[in-house]
Formats: sequence, C-alpha cells, structure tokens
Amino acid sequence: MSGRPVPPSRVAVTGAGILCAIADSLETFAAALYSGRSGIGVRSVEATGGTVLSADLTGFDFPTAVAARAALPEELRRVALRVSGRAPLAVRAAVTVALQAWEAAELHRVPVAGERIGVVVGGHNLAGAYTERLRPRYDASPVYLPGRFALHMLDTDHVGMVSQILGITGEGFTVGGASASGNVALINACRLLAAGEVDVCLVIGALADLSAMERQAFVNLGAMAGARGTSDPGSRARPFDADREGFVPGEAAACLVLESAESVRRRGVRPLGGVAGYALRLDGNSLADPDAAGEARAMAEALRRAGLNPADVDYVNSHGTGSRLGDETEVAALHKVFGSDIGRPWVNSTKGLLGHTLWAAGVVEAVATLVQLRDGFVHPNANLEHPIDAACRFVGTRAQRASLRVAMSNAFGFGGFNTSVVLTAAEPATESA
Amino acid sequence: MRTTDDPVLARVLDVIRANALEIVPDADPQAVVPHSSLADIGANSIDRADIVAMTMEQLGIVVPVAEFAQVRDIGTLAELLRRHLP
Repeated sequence: MSGRPVPPSRVAVTGAGILCAIADSLETFAAALYSGRSGIGVRSVEATGGTVLSADLTGFDFPTAVAARAALPEELRRVALRVSGRAPLAVRAAVTVALQAWEAAELHRVPVAGERIGVVVGGHNLAGAYTERLRPRYDASPVYLPGRFALHMLDTDHVGMVSQILGITGEGFTVGGASASGNVALINACRLLAAGEVDVCLVIGALADLSAMERQAFVNLGAMAGARGTSDPGSRARPFDADREGFVPGEAAACLVLESAESVRRRGVRPLGGVAGYALRLDGNSLADPDAAGEARAMAEALRRAGLNPADVDYVNSHGTGSRLGDETEVAALHKVFGSDIGRPWVNSTKGLLGHTLWAAGVVEAVATLVQLRDGFVHPNANLEHPIDAACRFVGTRAQRASLRVAMSNAFGFGGFNTSVVLTAAEPATESA
Repeated sequence: MRTTDDPVLARVLDVIRANALEIVPDADPQAVVPHSSLADIGANSIDRADIVAMTMEQLGIVVPVAEFAQVRDIGTLAELLRRHLP
C-alpha cells in the first residue's frame, strides 16, 4: 500500500440507510456482506405459471421499519406512517432508507434548516409494478382508479414524500441514467453541495419495482439469468465467472446523507466516509452495448477530479452484473485504467449477493463500499469459481480483511451511461471531537 | 351508530365509514358521521378521491364526477351514492 496522503474529500457522507434482500440496516448489511449471504431466490410469474430468479425484499413491513427508528422523534415517525403508509412499495422503501440515514446523520439531534437541505432521487420508471396492480380496477371501470394514482404514478412522488416527511425545502428532483441512476444522483448531489445551494443533501437510490412486462423485456433481450431454469438460485448470479449467464434483478433502496465539510464541522458529527471524485460520460450510443473506452474514461476522470492516481485505489466495487458482455467489457476497462497496477486493487461485485438493483445500484453499492472502507474488509464474489481474467485481483468466494482508504464504485447503464465515483474512508478520529 | 331508517343508505354509510377509516387511520371513528365532512375527519383531497373511488368500486356503481359537486358532507355523499344503487 502506498503511503501517499489522500487529499481530504470535499463532500462528507454523514449517514447511510439500506434496505435489500439481505439486510434492513447498515449493521445487518455489513455483517451480511462479510459473510457473503446471497439474497437471490425465485418469484412466481402469474402470466406463465413459472418462476423467475429474483433477489426480493423479505419480510419488509413499513410500520415495523418506521418503528425501528426509535431514536427519531415520535412525531416524525407518525408523520412518515400517515404520509407514506399507503404509497407504492418503492416509495415506502425510499422513506425507510431516508429515515435510517437521517437518524445516522443525527439530523434529528443536530438539525440543519430545511431550506439548506436537498434531496436527489436516482431512478426512473418507478411505478411499473404499482401501475400493473391497478390495471384490473381501471379495467372494471376507469372511475375506480384511485385519485392517488395521479401522484404515485410520478417518479417525483419520491421527492414529494421524503421532503414532506423530513421537512426538506431546499432543492429536490429525480435524475435518471438507467442502471447508473444511483451514481447520477450522487454526482448531482455533490454538485448541489459544491454550488453552495445546500449544506446537506440526501441521495436516494430508488427501488426498481419491475412490472412483469418490464422484467420480461430484460429476459427477451437476453440480459437476465434464468434461461437455464431457476433451480439453485444462490448459484445463478456469478459476476466475472466463466459460467455466468446474465444478471438477476434485485429489490433494494438506499440513501446517503452528503454534507459539506463546513456543515460537518458546525454540527460536530462524525462522517462515515467521503466522496472524493466522480464522473459521468456518455458513449453516444442508445443501445445495451457497453464500451470499455467509455467506462475507462469515466473511471480515469473520477480519479483525476479526486486528485488521485490509479495506484492509490485500494478497492473497486465493480458494476459487475454477471452479464456475458458487460463483465468482459468492464475487465477490459479496468486494464485500460490500471495498466500495470491492475493487480493492486481488490475487485468485487455486490450484485452477486443482492442481485442487480438497477436504478438503486449506484447508491446501494456506494453504501456497500463505505461499510467495507469503514470495517476494513472486501466482501466475497459470489460463485466466482473460474475468473474470466487472471490479472484482476478478484476477491474469492470468502471475504478478505483489507485496510482500505480509497475505493472506486462503478455504475454503467443501457444507453451509454458510464459513471464512476471515488469514495474515501473517514479520517481516523483525532483528538478534537 | 345508525342515523337513518333506510337500510340501504345505512349500508352505504358503513362502506364510506370503513373506507374513510382505512384511508385516514388516525381519524376518530366517532367523528365519521353524516353531518361531518371527510375533510373534517382529516382526509386531504387525495384521501377524499380515494375514499369515493373505493366506495363506488365496492358498491359496484359509477357516479359521474360532475354529480359530486352537490356533496356537502358524508350524509349527502351517501345519499348521492344511494341514488345510483339499483
């Protein structure tokens, strides 16, 4: 490990929340990642009577999740239930992770004025399954469609709900970039902070609640695992393995609280880590056709903005979906960026454990990266028995202890979206609190 | 609490009340009476639209939107829906 000092990050992460197939809090997430627990199972499909591979939330109950935030004021919990109790799953998940992150950032204890707080939601096409479930009521008679649908069908309902519950009155909006949406949100939140528009910004990776049609479209495109059936689901997501067959979709939402260094100092809170650099680069290509040059440009630019060299990177949380072409392309891009240092950073893919959480993935994997930086480990690569590249330092099927300072988290999306963010470990606690 | 001798109207009121309490769980059940409005019990505009749509669906009726202009309170809402029942 090089001893070069890492420049201080301009943006701190002061809170995080996660809800996914293997965890419902930051601490259960860290433990599940370390043990390499797979959340991948099967769900039945009404139209075919068959099953598909899916990493679904298990046992999520909104009132229970809200009650679990016992440190938050009772009135805040009451408002959350009243405002979002009947909202679609994706919105309830977003509110759940926002409350976790709010509590972790101690925004209830050491508050910031609502107009100095922003919220950026990453994701689009968020109401697919919700719309599908309402269709029979509409078909019975158009007037039976609930008026509420006019709000819930909008992706921006996420922004409205979270801002109402938490009293956020600064800037807020949704952003999209297919499977890179989470990173696109993170990048835009960093910019709001850099521009001085807000002092604190929530970044939410929105849960992809796919309709049956949306799910089938990925199958028909040949992107999704499952063509060989759905037996032994835990073995079917295999990023970077020679025997991979595509991605398995996963349900998850995640939230980060980003905060300016000045606000962190003023509030006296301890960051979980920092965002040191980022980049978003397009391929100029509308297809599901990844390009190593575009991916490498995003990674190199993120490092450049962080003031770091490839040799400073200890760990790469890859996009690594388990798709045949996608994984190969990312490995080629890593070679371009790291060159002779390719064997230095650890590389893993969180999607082997949680599935591909699509729009949420950037934020979900930033949270995964931050807990690994904090706790000093790299989680296993599920089912990585025959790595497709001998030079990359892939984590094996067991977690490794590792002292990490600098990590890179990649997210790429259909339509030529290439994003990379550079995350840093929190500086060790010093004498002053 | 029956406030009418018309058993059909009473049933409509029961359906409205059940839906109102489902959509506004923190409403006081004692306050869901014919002379109070849905707004009085804490239902916002979206809640009110939902309560009406759910009630029509459960009663199997379709009431043109324009007719709701005459609704003043839960009682007049129930009477309107009642008129559309076969």
